[in-house]
Amino acid sequence: MQEPVSGFGIGLRSEHYGDFIAAPQPVDWLEVISENYLVAGGKPLYHLDRIRRDYPMVMHGVSLSIGGSDPLDHAYLQQLRCLAERIQPAWVSDHLCWTGTSSLNLHDLLPLPYTEACLRHLVPRVQQVQEMLGRPLVLENVSSYVRYRADEMSEWEFIAELVRRSGCGLLLDVNNVYVSSVNHGFVAHAFIDAMPAAAVRQIHLAGHEDHGTYLIDTHDHPVCDAVWDLYAYTVNRLGPLPAMIERDDDIPPLELLLAELDTARSIARTAAGDARRAA
Amino acid sequence: MSAAGTLVELQQRCQQAILDGNPLPGLFAAEGSGSSGGFGIYLQAYRARLTAALQDNYPVLLRAIGDDAFAALADAYIARRPSHFRSIRWVGDCLADFLACSPEHLAHPSLVDLARMDWATRAAFDAADAEALCVTDLATLRAEDWPQRRFGLLPSLQMLRLDWQVEPTWKSLDADPLASCDEPQFLPHVLLVWRPQLECRWRSAPALEASVLEALSTGASFAACCDLIADSGDAEPAATAAGFLQSWIADGLLARD
Repeated sequence: MQEPVSGFGIGLRSEHYGDFIAAPQPVDWLEVISENYLVAGGKPLYHLDRIRRDYPMVMHGVSLSIGGSDPLDHAYLQQLRCLAERIQPAWVSDHLCWTGTSSLNLHDLLPLPYTEACLRHLVPRVQQVQEMLGRPLVLENVSSYVRYRADEMSEWEFIAELVRRSGCGLLLDVNNVYVSSVNHGFVAHAFIDAMPAAAVRQIHLAGHEDHGTYLIDTHDHPVCDAVWDLYAYTVNRLGPLPAMIERDDDIPPLELLLAELDTARSIARTAAGDARRAA
Repeated sequence: MSAAGTLVELQQRCQQAILDGNPLPGLFAAEGSGSSGGFGIYLQAYRARLTAALQDNYPVLLRAIGDDAFAALADAYIARRPSHFRSIRWVGDCLADFLACSPEHLAHPSLVDLARMDWATRAAFDAADAEALCVTDLATLRAEDWPQRRFGLLPSLQMLRLDWQVEPTWKSLDADPLASCDEPQFLPHVLLVWRPQLECRWRSAPALEASVLEALSTGASFAACCDLIADSGDAEPAATAAGFLQSWIADGLLARD
């Protein structure tokens, strides 16, 4: 049965299957990487089913290529739909990006050109995906290291316009906003301010690598202070949205991720209180 | 030009630059300045990510040839075989065949079989589940029904035709990355790899047993299997077939109907 998601979660990783099966853990929900479970059987689906009994879940994909110029991959979408029917996630998300063209997959989250033409390409594809999945699609802002010469608007203007035209939901990755703001020299608060609050379903928090003049979104470090500050600003502006720690490399013991999640809880409580007082 | 037409050209140029390792495709603002990290991050991430996927899928081959040789092999494979897969899980599906045709990466011919064994165990890991046939499932089978009885194999079962006896090397390196291994012997044989429940298993199969399993996989009846065994010169084909059945049930190789 589909269960609503609120509060604080983490990304489920195989390193922590044992912890979740051995004892209840203080997380409100879990996010699973869809592609990890688009398999026929074995341990991945066994653990997914077992842990799903105890926790609400959301699905997060990396291969939709919603902005790709190839036609949508119906076989992939059918697999995604089957997985969604199996675990009944509160929502299905992927990234606002492209991952390859001409039938190839580069297995990366490549930025889109922020153009009117790209918006016209995206809107019907979002609607097709929603129809094929039979549920709303939630899209995440990616971190980026290049800007196209072809860009006609800012990333936040592009996202807001996509939401307005397509009705998709948003997964706001606060770390990605921060990484891109440093890399491209924009004010991260302006990005947050431009987000259509009613569309934002979920927050991602993650760590990155600092290379001095630029940042790389690696998900292999704890969340840094600047991202916590931006998260506090986000909660203040958008309210108490479901938020989670996303860790994909150098995966630490679960206890450390739970401690980071406590930090998120504390920051969200304080920021929400500040917002109430300001109102 | 249509929206998709403009986008396809941009994406094709960008993709070709990533595949070619070209840092200056002429698509980006402040291209080459590196001030925002730049396109080089995507070039590096592409190869690193696919190499990591190959390492995940070929853990024992990696240990056998070491990081540097594996990196060279991965570079060559990625250049030749860009991914068509939605999920990175399947990257490397042709690595063993690629290795067989790449003498510059093949320090010893047995490495091809080591790679085949890696891929097969990975494939069994998340193959479709099936309930295994038990002895009690056959208890009610009437004597007259035996000749036409067909037996299904587990979906995870793979029968690999290997030229080298790589199993001891694979087992040692799987358990210990630093294990020292004797050179595998040339010994053409069939290796069975399957997953009865959650854990993968493997063992070699004598030629007759392998040919009967292959017959079963194409829908041969018990009687047809007995005929196959008789054709090999076995004087008691029904007894041999029954012995095979017992061991397959004990191994969890057969699927319940």
